[in-house]
Amino acid sequence: MLEIPAQIWQKTKTSYIWRSLFRHGYPDSRKNQSLAVFTNVFLHLHPVKVRRHALAIPYTWCMGGLSFFLFLVLTLTGTLLMFYYRPTTEWAYSDIKDLETVVVFGQLLRNMHRWAAHGMVITVFLHMIRVFYTGSYKPPREFNWVIGTLLFFFTILLSYTGYLLPWDQLSFWAVTVGYEIARATPAIGDEFAFILFGGFQLGPNALLRFYVLHVVGLPLTVGFLIAIHFWRIRKDGGITGPL
Amino acid sequence: MTAPRGPQPFPGQEKRLRLLAFVRQDSIVRVDKRVEDTAMVWPHLLTIEFIAAMLWTIGLFAISAAFNAPLQDHQTPDCTPNPSKAPWYLLNLQELLLHMDKGLAGVVVPTLWLVFMAAIPYIDRSREGVGIWFTSANGLRITIFAAVYSTLLTFSLILLDAFLKAHGYIEFASDYFPGGKQLLPNYVIPIALMIGLSILLVVIVQRLYLANTREWMIAIFTGWVFTYLVLTVVGTSMRGPGMDLFAPWGVPATHQCFAPTK
Repeated sequence: MLEIPAQIWQKTKTSYIWRSLFRHGYPDSRKNQSLAVFTNVFLHLHPVKVRRHALAIPYTWCMGGLSFFLFLVLTLTGTLLMFYYRPTTEWAYSDIKDLETVVVFGQLLRNMHRWAAHGMVITVFLHMIRVFYTGSYKPPREFNWVIGTLLFFFTILLSYTGYLLPWDQLSFWAVTVGYEIARATPAIGDEFAFILFGGFQLGPNALLRFYVLHVVGLPLTVGFLIAIHFWRIRKDGGITGPL
Repeated sequence: MTAPRGPQPFPGQEKRLRLLAFVRQDSIVRVDKRVEDTAMVWPHLLTIEFIAAMLWTIGLFAISAAFNAPLQDHQTPDCTPNPSKAPWYLLNLQELLLHMDKGLAGVVVPTLWLVFMAAIPYIDRSREGVGIWFTSANGLRITIFAAVYSTLLTFSLILLDAFLKAHGYIEFASDYFPGGKQLLPNYVIPIALMIGLSILLVVIVQRLYLANTREWMIAIFTGWVFTYLVLTVVGTSMRGPGMDLFAPWGVPATHQCFAPTK
């Protein structure tokens, strides 16, 4: 009886279509395990082999990987939220209300986006702590540390621009605090605040600017920096370890 | 004899080389390491990544099912909550605003802080202690010392500021300080404290723990991280209406609609 599924599996595996998708056998041998990582566009971010200590969670805390994971979650939930949200002062607040009361699983979606955003600020911060105390910024990784500090800065900015979007009392006055800080920039305060917020008070322009920065400008910048960050980790010899 | 097919080399460059790889010694997995020191990414690393992603997905679902994201009333410029607070990860800056000039606390200090952070590997160029937590036992001692030093100092300075301001410091400064209540209290004193206490920390660990560059870098990084944390905690959980200082358990509720008195 069991021969039938076994035969079907065998036929599938040797079929023309299957072999066009996967160019290696099941990864149960060293060769196929290497090929599985090597020939897959997502997995090939990894090397084929890593040094054993790089697997130790007490060493890495997994925080870099989890920051990336949360970035992906935020991209996914954020894209779904975009279907229901209009960045205008007429609609923004009622669209969020609708998400909570009308849209199926809308509240859950918004909650996930919110808590993942807070989580990402924390994981990026902890990742930075881990990298510093393990001396992982040392040669040849100097420039990757610089990219990392930029990613920390942009993570905060992403979170902050998203904070305004619900257009409620909480978000409005929290961002007002930031607006006052921007205006206090020495020498170019008013111009800087005008460019960032689109006016001399928080209004429709600020909402639209923050929205565009939040869903296009900053995610693209962060994605770009992440690509360089990961690339350089590989080029600089992977995760640090004792010499 | 006919010329070979394909693009022809320029005269004088007939010998053509292709660059296949450019490998520096310190940027590859070392060849002299034995096989036992390495693990296959499939399955060992991918399993860890998969489990971590699953656990965090479940955790995020659970948190999102249990706690709703906050949403207050529609914004209105006529009704200012007291206090108005920034998101928690910026409350450290908002806390700093209370103790010095706005532009200094909100823009100049964080910018310089980020620039210094980025510059760390260019100041500490040694390769000592790569891949070892705190580099050494001495590094760990320095970390603990710097954490205690900066936590106590930051907290005391916040309390001192609150105490002085409650006892007429601003009025005293406007009457007697050169430059009034601006120059010394908002610029000179805070700048001197930030730079002076950082240098003092470095000098102490150099004397007390014979710190080298990596180790005083640990001290300064730890000091700043803990200052950042203390400022965040105070800003988040100890500031009530009027941004006055309260005990964390005694902070009055935010006045949701605060009409400014004119």
